[in-house]
Amino acid sequence: MSAAPAEIDRPVSPPTPTPRRARREARVDGAQRRREARRQLRYELISGGSGVALALFMWGHMALVGSILTGARGFDALAGGLEEVYIAQPTVLAITALFLIHAAMASRKIPAQIREHRKLRAVTEPLRVESARSPGHLESSLWVWQVWTGMILLVLGSFHLVLVGFDVFTDTFGVRTGIEAASTQARVSEGLWIVYALLLLCVEFHASTGLYRFAVKWGIGSRLGRPALRRIEHVLLYGFLGLGFLTLAVLAKWIEPPLAFLLGATV
Amino acid sequence: MSTEMITLETPRRLRFEIFRFNPEDPSSEPHHQTFELDEQPFMTLYIALNRIREEQDPSLQFDFACRSAICGSCGMLVNGRPRLACNTLTRDLGETIRLEPLPVFKLIGDLSVDTGTWFRGMAEQVGGWIEEKAPFQAHAEEERMDADLAQAIYEGERCIECGCCIAGCGVANVNPDFVGAAGLNRIARFMRDPRDARSEDDWFEVVSDENGVFGCIGLMGCHDVCPKELPLLEQYAYLRRKMLGAAREEERT
Repeated sequence: MSAAPAEIDRPVSPPTPTPRRARREARVDGAQRRREARRQLRYELISGGSGVALALFMWGHMALVGSILTGARGFDALAGGLEEVYIAQPTVLAITALFLIHAAMASRKIPAQIREHRKLRAVTEPLRVESARSPGHLESSLWVWQVWTGMILLVLGSFHLVLVGFDVFTDTFGVRTGIEAASTQARVSEGLWIVYALLLLCVEFHASTGLYRFAVKWGIGSRLGRPALRRIEHVLLYGFLGLGFLTLAVLAKWIEPPLAFLLGATV
Repeated sequence: MSTEMITLETPRRLRFEIFRFNPEDPSSEPHHQTFELDEQPFMTLYIALNRIREEQDPSLQFDFACRSAICGSCGMLVNGRPRLACNTLTRDLGETIRLEPLPVFKLIGDLSVDTGTWFRGMAEQVGGWIEEKAPFQAHAEEERMDADLAQAIYEGERCIECGCCIAGCGVANVNPDFVGAAGLNRIARFMRDPRDARSEDDWFEVVSDENGVFGCIGLMGCHDVCPKELPLLEQYAYLRRKMLGAAREEERT
């Protein structure tokens, strides 16, 4: 019995290129590939980061608009205060910029061709069907819903940002430059509530779903597991939807501000 | 006990709607053919398909080898969802069962597809092999490895390359160069391995471009159809974080 060789023989020649590999090598050289890879990482970070920032802003936004629950006086005091110290004005501009950046970056993965849409549907639809062995797969629909709500948000959100821009920077609405409870309630109650109800639904769905997907993508809270993350997402979604519709009801003057007693006076 | 209960009942009459097409035969047209079969206890699709071929139509093409979910050759669409025929029990399905070949891969005939060419191309694209730090010494003592790390590498290694994650992936269905969950899982396996000479930086182009992890649109189908229940989403998250780390490292230097 001879001694085993110190090194085991193995093929060293590179395998013959498949069409796929040839395609890939013909397309780009090394430096270009690196630039492209860096760009993809940057896009991903910008679209994800701007999304998370916008979602967190929406929570703060809810606290600000929610001040109407204490009555017009509370709302005006908060809005006026933020405008006086010049927090409101740059915030409107910054959020508008973030909103547009997020829309541009996040939409880059929406398939451009109908053919691709059809294929996506063909793959994901059977996954959604419930069977004895597997519950319906909802995650594959979430992405499609993100695309739809995102498109609605682009339209209605732009409208809202323009409106608030006029509020903050001009005296077109109300008696002075700035956001005012009276003019806001007037326009919401006269019919804009339809727009805002849709906007609220889309924004809360898009934000909580986006946060959930962001967490799964980057492995945040992966130790909790996806079901737990989904539950957290649902609590956030329904919590903010409830608070949002309560606020909208006051803005539309359907109900009296329920927290008016906090300021100790009538509305 | 459960066997008796099943045999005492009248067996269900199962209807199989099976995709038929032979690309080699110019007169063949893609269509679905229906076969009927009495269900038997603990019947898998693998058993059912063999009985159909044995008793009803010897020309039916499908792949299998191990019948125990380890060879990865019997992946197919079961009512549209990618599954392995050998570990799918008919009792978990309705009376009508639609069987189709996996998409993305080249069709050989009926339910049989060529996953090999796709996986070969993917492996070449990602460099899915070990690049050893030092020549292998057959008689030298192996370097010790942390048990958790060994387990994490093993988890990635459990992939049987059945192609279910690729067939269930929205991106792989539209972009033929997307390496998919199978590819990214393989990268993560070698990236974790301390015996591999490549650094995260060396993987950057492969992992970070639109055919790698950032091509994913997050349908999470791959993770949920994987017959081996691999932690594919964790592998994706691991690669995303590693790529971010590699890019920051490069910025610093």
